[in-house]
Amino acid sequence: MITRTSRRALLAGAAGAAAFALTLSACGGSSSGGSASGGSSQTSGVTITVALASDPPPKAALDEFTKETGIKVNWVNIDWDSLQTKISAAATAKTYFADATDVDWSRVGQLGKLGWFYPMETMVDTKTMASDMPQLTSFTKDGHVVGIPYDASFMVTTVNEKMFQKAGVTEMPKTIDDYTAALNKVKSAGVVKYPLNIPFAAAEGLSTYWYETTGAFGGTVLDGAGKPQFTTPDSAGYKAATWMVDAIKNGLVPPGNINVTDSQGSQTLMAKGQVASIFSDYSGGIGTLYNIKSASSVVDQVKYIPTPGVTGTAANLGNPDGIGIPKQAKYPQAAAKFIEWFTSAKKQEDFAGLNGQDKIFQGYALPSHLSVLQKMSESGTLPEGKSLVPMLQGSKPVFPEGAPAWYPQFSNAVYTNLHAAATGSMTVDAAIKTIADTANRLASGS
Amino acid sequence: MSRPGARAGNTGRGIGVALTLLWSVIPIYWAVKTSFQTDADARANPAQYVPLRPTLENYRTLLTADSDVPGQIRRAALNIVVECGAATVVTVLLATLAGYAFARMRFRGRNVLFYAVLATMAFPPYTTLIPLYRIMSLLGLVNTYTGIVLVYVSGFLPLATWVLHNYFSSLPESIEEAGLVDGAKRLQVLWHLLLPLARPGIISTALITFLFAWGQFLFPLVLSSDLSTQPLTVVIASLQGRHVVPASLLNAAGVLAIIVPAVLALAFNRYIVNGLLAGSTR
Amino acid sequence: MSLTRSATPGPGLTAEARPTAPVRRRGRRFDPLPYLLVAPVAIFIVGLALIPAVFTVVQSFFKVNPLDPPTRFTGLGNFRALLADDAVIGSLGNTAFYVVVGVTLSTVLGIAMAVLLQRPFRGRSLVIAVLILPWALPGVVEGILWTGIFDPNAGLINSIVTQVGQIFGTGAGGTTLLLGQNRLLTISLIELVQVWQITPLSVLLILAALQLIPGELYEAAEIDGCTRWGAFRRITLPLARPGIAVCMVQAVIATLNVFDQPYVLNGAAATGSSITMQTYFISFQDLDFGQGYALSLMITVVTLIISLVVVRTIYRRVEL
Repeated sequence: MITRTSRRALLAGAAGAAAFALTLSACGGSSSGGSASGGSSQTSGVTITVALASDPPPKAALDEFTKETGIKVNWVNIDWDSLQTKISAAATAKTYFADATDVDWSRVGQLGKLGWFYPMETMVDTKTMASDMPQLTSFTKDGHVVGIPYDASFMVTTVNEKMFQKAGVTEMPKTIDDYTAALNKVKSAGVVKYPLNIPFAAAEGLSTYWYETTGAFGGTVLDGAGKPQFTTPDSAGYKAATWMVDAIKNGLVPPGNINVTDSQGSQTLMAKGQVASIFSDYSGGIGTLYNIKSASSVVDQVKYIPTPGVTGTAANLGNPDGIGIPKQAKYPQAAAKFIEWFTSAKKQEDFAGLNGQDKIFQGYALPSHLSVLQKMSESGTLPEGKSLVPMLQGSKPVFPEGAPAWYPQFSNAVYTNLHAAATGSMTVDAAIKTIADTANRLASGS
Repeated sequence: MSRPGARAGNTGRGIGVALTLLWSVIPIYWAVKTSFQTDADARANPAQYVPLRPTLENYRTLLTADSDVPGQIRRAALNIVVECGAATVVTVLLATLAGYAFARMRFRGRNVLFYAVLATMAFPPYTTLIPLYRIMSLLGLVNTYTGIVLVYVSGFLPLATWVLHNYFSSLPESIEEAGLVDGAKRLQVLWHLLLPLARPGIISTALITFLFAWGQFLFPLVLSSDLSTQPLTVVIASLQGRHVVPASLLNAAGVLAIIVPAVLALAFNRYIVNGLLAGSTR
Repeated sequence: MSLTRSATPGPGLTAEARPTAPVRRRGRRFDPLPYLLVAPVAIFIVGLALIPAVFTVVQSFFKVNPLDPPTRFTGLGNFRALLADDAVIGSLGNTAFYVVVGVTLSTVLGIAMAVLLQRPFRGRSLVIAVLILPWALPGVVEGILWTGIFDPNAGLINSIVTQVGQIFGTGAGGTTLLLGQNRLLTISLIELVQVWQITPLSVLLILAALQLIPGELYEAAEIDGCTRWGAFRRITLPLARPGIAVCMVQAVIATLNVFDQPYVLNGAAATGSSITMQTYFISFQDLDFGQGYALSLMITVVTLIISLVVVRTIYRRVEL
């Protein structure tokens, strides 16, 4: 009998089905999806499909692009998880689904190795872009640019200044120790019961939080060869994990957070004044969430602070959104033109609101061009721009050498084990050891 | 046929029935309630068990707001109705013919074929996702109503055939014995005598097929490329994935997606019940 | 379509057990009509279900991983790797919990609700109509519904817990029920959601079996001085066996394949991850499609075995 087949169950089944597609394609021994399907180089008079986990930019902007180039754009908005599944399914089945689509920074290693996307350096002038787009390095694997960052998302520390002040914290903390002390002060002063948000749900956001915290403790997660750098108790990653788990054990983090994801934490805790700070928050959150009256009860209270490090300000970790061209694209050249236009400094000025409200691209994080960000900051259109620009300039990729191809498995090990440590079903030491074992196993390719 | 002295039993049953109803309805009620609240009220702690300040704002936003979402919702609603409707019609038509043949005719290979059809029910229906995707791609049917409908039909045919086979088997044999002379006549017998009798079975099958189709997510996600074919479930999932969607708005979208199945289930529950029973008894 | 026929799933059904209507055989002349009637279904099934399914079975014996090309035969390598994987083993344990909790709960609830509805009363059909609602809703929406119930702050359950706590002075907040707190609680709460979805079918299946019990049996039992409980144990339960068996089989299938509920409500956490979730991670995160399919195949085989055992033990042909 057919059972009720709902969303996730279907995903599970797709697993097996994918294998069949490979049977059909694997005859030549190459199942890496290496060769392009030979899309048309035509650019004028064609319609390209752009699939991203976002609403479309203003219609006027897209119309203008069509007028300039003769290329029509069919914009498709699919949620991020579904989109990753769709990309895998389409690439595995070697089937067209879009001419340009999402390239997440964390998938760069995997996608680079799989060869599912066109190397962007052959399609657009990435060399010129690189100088004004610091995060382009996160999208480069083995010398190939898999996608172009169209916004500049990075991790920042957000603080509800009003709550901190109410608790008597007048000077914003500069080091992790100060920060922890300030949180304890907010708690003991009774401003909020649980001052800190850490999204301890076993999901990607927990991994990201740990990477950022590890950076703040002055270290990296993996070295260039993919070897874990967090195994000894004096390593940054180990300290970061201990700090996070202690925070929930000591009542700095709401107990319910063992099931809170990153976006839930921002929306239902920080934006509702339930917590006073998020150590690893998303840049742009003040402009797109905390200062939006309909979604927030803490308008004008939240500030970005320079990431507290061991002795002073630490670097921020970048996790930008990129866009690339799948090998099965029908009109790769037209898609390249679109990406060039979409990621240009001029368009980003429009999207970010420098040239008027009607040109704003709703939900757009931050421009990936440094120059645009600077302009925004100078013109005062960027909330807290003065603090953001230096952060972006100093932002570092989570993996300086690009995310490894096995990143998704690694991240899964990170968030399931840190989650388990937070619930108390496993010690931090055991969690760290399991994560390290996983990384070693994956890096050795067994 | 009520049993005497059952007053205490009646009270007990009343409580039991009340609990049963509460159990079935509360999660749905909670979503409906939330959809009539502002986001702030929806997040109140402790919760408001009824919307103290009911508002239609979420529905207004979803259906009429000046942004892309309302257009998407309307278009996706049209898509889901077209796809589910077409899949239901084709499935029921083909399953009726085959169900009749399997139940009332003898032919070489009947059992083998019949079991082959049933055996596909043992597989999770989605195991065929990517091969189907390739086949549809070869036929140029990706992102078309036809492609989605064909895939739905292939997924729901086994159950539909099985249910209708059972219905035809349960009808008395004497009906057709009178008029059977040749093959052509047999079709007339099917059309004029058996179909009217099997109508409840056909309606059951149609309803179950429609409800199954309505709940699909991954097949349409993969097989449709854009709003020209994306059904409501896919569009709602994309709302859910959006960074800032208030819970109250999300619940309103959810309520929109459950109205049709809920109304069908309430209005035609007898047919659905019969169909489910026929389909689950193997 | 009577329930007393056979409850064996799939091909266990024999031709003799089904009422067949032998249409008069007309010599040896080939009659194309039946083939014409079944042809469309046959084409659909063979082309769009059977062939793809067979290929996927074959692929479970191959190394199919685009990150590790080429595709090559590994025999039982995929299966061995799976059984050595801690995450797989852990989720096997969770899934066993899901099956035990889910099958027990849905069967007990199914029997209770079916007995409640056994005798006609005013509004019974309305109750049944409401009862099947959870079954009829799309899975995508289910996650939305239940997240609202379990929310640690504004959720229904924790609001009630908090307010009851306040009334009895035990203090608010300290007693919050949380998903993920410990394995048993997490699995129970998640499974509650699935039970909500699958119980309607259980009730219907058992109710159908109950409807076939002649009322005279109860009357006779009452005359013999049998209590209600006695009648339930001696008449209802034994005679409802076929319905209960089918209900348990469908519960076994559903719980063994549980995916949505743990994934949506508890993420990838080891406290609740199920075996089908591992299938998804292995295939779509690790891109090890060969292992992913091998795991699906194992789930299918286990499902069939457990279903058969349940049917063998619980189901007995009922002679009236």
